[in-house]
Amino acid sequence: MSSPAPDSGSRQPGSRSGAAAYVAALLALLVPGAGHFYLRRWGRGAIFLVLVLAALAVGVALDGRLPWYWTGPPLKRLATLGAMGSGLPPLILHFVLGYQGDLRGSGWEYGGVFIVTAGLMNLLLVLDAWDIAAGRKD
Amino acid sequence: MSHLLLMSTYAALISVFFAVLWRREPRAQLKLFLQLFLGLVLGAVALAWLTYPFPAGAPAPIP
Repeated sequence: MSSPAPDSGSRQPGSRSGAAAYVAALLALLVPGAGHFYLRRWGRGAIFLVLVLAALAVGVALDGRLPWYWTGPPLKRLATLGAMGSGLPPLILHFVLGYQGDLRGSGWEYGGVFIVTAGLMNLLLVLDAWDIAAGRKD
Repeated sequence: MSHLLLMSTYAALISVFFAVLWRREPRAQLKLFLQLFLGLVLGAVALAWLTYPFPAGAPAPIP
């Protein structure tokens, strides 16, 4: 008879409190990798920070579209939410630097994909930071 | 930049991201990276080759 499967939701030794999970997720949502830094996953946090910012930088270098559609077709609004997943960087791009991308450029679509992908990657990092803080992952 | 270079850059970013996210051991990370990267690039090239006989049609209107 096999032993029961371990409870995936059980806390591991050294796991943090429930409040720490919220803090880690919030930090991860604001700044890519910050949730992992908060949880002292320095190496992984640094890699994720570089990856998300690199995707964003490639998108901006291509003059890609920074989706900013709060009304209109649902897919465009979803793209906007996806791009906002990077946290502060796209907000700085939009509000501080006035970045919108160049519709006439050849990188409008290509770059836009990189920008949205950066946001989607960071949303996964929010979940990862949450799981680590909750003790579901190491 | 060429489409192939952009696609490869995209595939590399995605592959590194998921390799680090889903695996902990460096050897397992490298294995997953190679699987994802080669799968994305070679899969896209294969798909492009398969769709080559079909005409692209008129360009999409600019939104």
